[in-house]
Amino acid sequence: MRYQNATAYRFLAPYLLIFSIFWLWPIIGSFLISFQATRTVPWRFAPTFNWGRLIGDPAFFNALKNTLLILVIQVPVMITLAIVMAVLLNSPLLKARGLFRFAFFAPVVVGEVAYSAVFRLMFNLDYGIINKLLNSVGLPRIDWFSNVTPAMAVIIIAVTWRWAGYNAIILLAGLQSIPQDVYEAATLDRVSKLKQFFYITLPLLKPIIVFCAVLSIIGTMQLFTEPFLITERGGPGGGTETLGLLLYRQGFRSLNFGYASAIAYTMAGLAIAISLVQLWLTRDPK
Amino acid sequence: MAAVTLKNVVKRFGGFQIIHGADIDVNDGEFVVFVGPSGCGKSTLLRMIAGLEDISGGEIAIGGKVVNDVEPADRGIAMVFQSYALYPHMSVEQNLSFGLRMNGNPKADTERRVKRASEILRIAELMKRRPRQLSGGQRQRVAIGRAIVREPQVFLFDEPLSNLDAELRVQMRVEISRLHKELGVTMIYVTHDQTEAMTLADRIVVLRDGYVEQIGRPLDLYSDPDNQFVAGFVGSPKMNFIKARVLGHSASGVTVELAGGTRLTQPLNGPVPEPGSKVVVGVRPEHFGHAGKGDADLSVTIDVVEHLGGTSFLYTRTAAGDDIVIQRDAAEVPDAPEITVSIRKSYLFDDNGRRLR
Ligand SMILES: Nc1ncnc2c1ncn2[C@@H]1O[C@H](COP(=O)(O)OP(=O)(O)OP(=O)(O)O)[C@@H](O)[C@H]1O
Ligand SMILES: [Mg+2]
Repeated sequence: MRYQNATAYRFLAPYLLIFSIFWLWPIIGSFLISFQATRTVPWRFAPTFNWGRLIGDPAFFNALKNTLLILVIQVPVMITLAIVMAVLLNSPLLKARGLFRFAFFAPVVVGEVAYSAVFRLMFNLDYGIINKLLNSVGLPRIDWFSNVTPAMAVIIIAVTWRWAGYNAIILLAGLQSIPQDVYEAATLDRVSKLKQFFYITLPLLKPIIVFCAVLSIIGTMQLFTEPFLITERGGPGGGTETLGLLLYRQGFRSLNFGYASAIAYTMAGLAIAISLVQLWLTRDPK
Repeated sequence: MAAVTLKNVVKRFGGFQIIHGADIDVNDGEFVVFVGPSGCGKSTLLRMIAGLEDISGGEIAIGGKVVNDVEPADRGIAMVFQSYALYPHMSVEQNLSFGLRMNGNPKADTERRVKRASEILRIAELMKRRPRQLSGGQRQRVAIGRAIVREPQVFLFDEPLSNLDAELRVQMRVEISRLHKELGVTMIYVTHDQTEAMTLADRIVVLRDGYVEQIGRPLDLYSDPDNQFVAGFVGSPKMNFIKARVLGHSASGVTVELAGGTRLTQPLNGPVPEPGSKVVVGVRPEHFGHAGKGDADLSVTIDVVEHLGGTSFLYTRTAAGDDIVIQRDAAEVPDAPEITVSIRKSYLFDDNGRRLR
């Protein structure tokens, strides 16, 4: 038995080695870096240097506030939208299902830079199609990128557009695993389609919804592309700066790796904590 | 309680016609079994009665009222599905009461009905469990309980026992019989298992490829089948079919010659087939006797003997190559590989499988 274990570990050794070098070590290493003062060379060990700065840094709290605000609005809106899309996709009345499925999934495949450029164009003050549409129904134009609230809205819309279809496809798989005869039994029980949705579909889909929510929370906690490319590095004036962007600014513009690491661990910790709370809130009774 | 009447009922899926004008009368309080091979349209017919499939032609009436355009929930039926179709996220109790709760039924009445169903089916101790914590037999009981709670005029069962093992199947069969006696309501039951049909039914409807082949009481179908299909479908082991040729007829009936040269004379009331035309002689395994004690003798070679205890089945072959199964008392199984048996009772079918009588 012992001998067999040893053999197994010898076979695993190459993998474990690479895993340790490229995965385990960076994780541990970056955690250690967060305890070092890295503003000046040589780096020195100073546990409170970064973490102490973090808890009093207005830039950090601004980024945290922005990230959480986007999270609180975007994730529920997107998940709700994804559920509606999945139910429509699953409807037997729908023709050309394959086409729609592809169309919903396509945003994920489109390059980030291209998609961001298109969004910037669409929301452009003078030529953007959105403002043209607003004008055509008699509403005033909005200067999307010069004010914080509209800029936040653009980011939320963009992220939702990009990921709602992806979640809808995952939810669709869940919907299709609910057996049809359960709905037939409910029909015989005189349960309306709407009640079937709330009393049968939603409860049976709950594990998948929670899965999608957790994935989205983790994704949004790390939000970077949209505020970087669409609102031009968290503009206007840091109004849409997220934790991911702050991390980038500290790590790769100021080359302050210690502080960037501390931010990164805060982001990961928050994502885990929020996900755990989410799992706990939606746990199965008993 | 209600009678169910099907008049010239037709079902088409797209261009395919699946049910070809079914006429079936189910009396009030009767237990009727639809039986037939896989794909013959039993489930489709049942689902049309339930309202889960629409009716392409003809008329279905429940309790004297045409229900073609009546919502499933308003037809006074309850259905038990082959896959149980329990709500997986609800306890047994919630499964039973769901429909009533969703429709604002008074709480006291809902509780009374659930309690009664749980007593009838003896599932009172399972009420707090989820379906996945139940055995197949228990799930089946809950599914039946959910039907009972609706207090329907007609119960519909679609192969309710096919997911159970053999022993449990027998046990549940008895329970369903008992339930029918206790409730006294009309029940329509679909199965492809002729044993289930024979043991449960007041009357059996035999279906094939969307046509009703024969309707009758179990023993009538057994002893007086209308055609070769029904004769072969009812009874286990199957009736033996031996090819034969009409020789001629006399006052005592028609005389046919089996492939091996054996001659058999049968009385006939209907029109007599032409001499020389092909016919099929059907003999049930239990209708073979000792040589010289029947209408004709047949020599066969024994292949395999199956001992079931009291009786045995001899799997044999005639010189002409017809496979014949013979039932014998265990004590009378011969040692020799070749035996001669007599045909004590036989049925005659024409070339199209129609019964000649
Ligand atoms: N929704 C459908 N669309 C097209 N054809 C169908 C549909 N449902 C059933 N059929 C066809 O109708 C025929 C009868 O089907 P049905 O399910 O009623 O058979 P069954 O007698 O219940 O068979 P089994 O014993 O296998 O359950 C089959 O040939 C089947 O392929
Ligand atoms: Mg079926």
